[in-house]
Amino acid sequence: MTITRDAVREGIRAKVIELATRRGGHDISNLADDEILPATGLLDSAAILELVVWYESEYNLSLREEDINIDNLGSINSMIDFLMSHRSDRDRSS
Amino acid sequence: MPSAVRIPRVNNNDDSVKVVRLLVTPGNQVAAGDVVAEIETEKSVALVEAEQSGYVLAIACSPNDQVAVGSVMMWLGAAADEAVPDAPADPDVPGVTSFNEPTAKARALLQQHGLSVRDVPVSGRRLSVSDVEAYVALRHANRVQPSASDGTPPTGLAAGTARPFTVEERGMLRTITWHKEQATPAYVEVEYDPKPWQEYSAAYTAEHRLMLDPMLSLLAYRLVKLATDAPKINATVTGDRLYLYEHVNLGFTVQANEILYLVVVRDADLMNEADFISALGKLQRHAVGGKLRVQESQGATVALSSMARWDVSRHIPILSPYTSIMVAHTGPRQNGWAALGATYDHRVLTGFEVSQMLKKLSTPHPDAQAPTLGPK
Repeated sequence: MTITRDAVREGIRAKVIELATRRGGHDISNLADDEILPATGLLDSAAILELVVWYESEYNLSLREEDINIDNLGSINSMIDFLMSHRSDRDRSS
Repeated sequence: MPSAVRIPRVNNNDDSVKVVRLLVTPGNQVAAGDVVAEIETEKSVALVEAEQSGYVLAIACSPNDQVAVGSVMMWLGAAADEAVPDAPADPDVPGVTSFNEPTAKARALLQQHGLSVRDVPVSGRRLSVSDVEAYVALRHANRVQPSASDGTPPTGLAAGTARPFTVEERGMLRTITWHKEQATPAYVEVEYDPKPWQEYSAAYTAEHRLMLDPMLSLLAYRLVKLATDAPKINATVTGDRLYLYEHVNLGFTVQANEILYLVVVRDADLMNEADFISALGKLQRHAVGGKLRVQESQGATVALSSMARWDVSRHIPILSPYTSIMVAHTGPRQNGWAALGATYDHRVLTGFEVSQMLKKLSTPHPDAQAPTLGPK
């Protein structure tokens, strides 16, 4: 199945909004795609953990522990980049 | 005489369950409480435990089978060569399922009080003496009259609906029962300056480029090291003996949606700090993703629980079975100081020993001479 960066962006943003809303009704309409999510304070550790678990499941990824770092998953943009890179590698090897 | 292990009811809406895994084979010896199978419904996964010790004589189902609640899953016998009954052993009392079948002592106590099996709520898989005693005490206090033999609810209770416990609720009940009846729980607490831990955690986060604040994981690892250095912390009581665990299995509470798990990092004393944090992170993701395996939530020897996320000023946790300490972490209070408490088994540890351990735990630096304590 083909997925686009825009579709992934919308998906991740919607999940972040859901989690931020559930944890206290934060307004994240101004959240930039390259903002470091843990540093914004919009999501607590439990919400970030839930975001990572959702991301892995939603996009059928099998994350290694060393993948879960700020460089790969720290912002909406980095999550998109990591996913696209991962899918390209997978497509090439299949 | 062989006894049947029956398929338990996991929730009200499912009259059958799917067998996911069988963890024993005929000829295996099991102890009461051992997990023998994993089953699932549309909503949850549950564990089936042996109700008594014995040998597995025969298994009446296979993985992926859809089986009716109450049907025989396997037979246990006192000897490995005992004959397997031809027909399933149906409960001999109408309305009695494997959930509320009384133990022999409970049955005697029911007769003594003139009660029916259906009068008494069950806290575990079988109706126990403590269930009967609790009901009798409640009836005495509230003047609740026993139910009629047609199964109508006891009079004197406010209106309500009875439902079976979920697997998680039943697990919590067992923990509480152990805590109440077998341990001698006590609680102490120290206040401390959280800044050293916050700074240590921030530096660790930056160095390892972490997504999640590792402070609680680092705190848990410090507890592992303290339990390694002081084996009495990593112990329990068996009979009249002190039982010292060989390795430290660190239990850590994880709240996933509305379910509270105690995930367990096994042999944590053999890990370095980074490996421990990685292992604990993996278990947390399994719990949140609903993929926690049976062995990942069993066998804790020490434990840590935090309610900092819920902004409470204090919480006094219950002891997990066969642990002598559960450390309680809360976030900084209004005065900026934080608290570390511990529920401990007073049969194993003294308040002095636990308070000394908590003072060491309040700093990330093992060589610190005098941990900073809270304001007077």
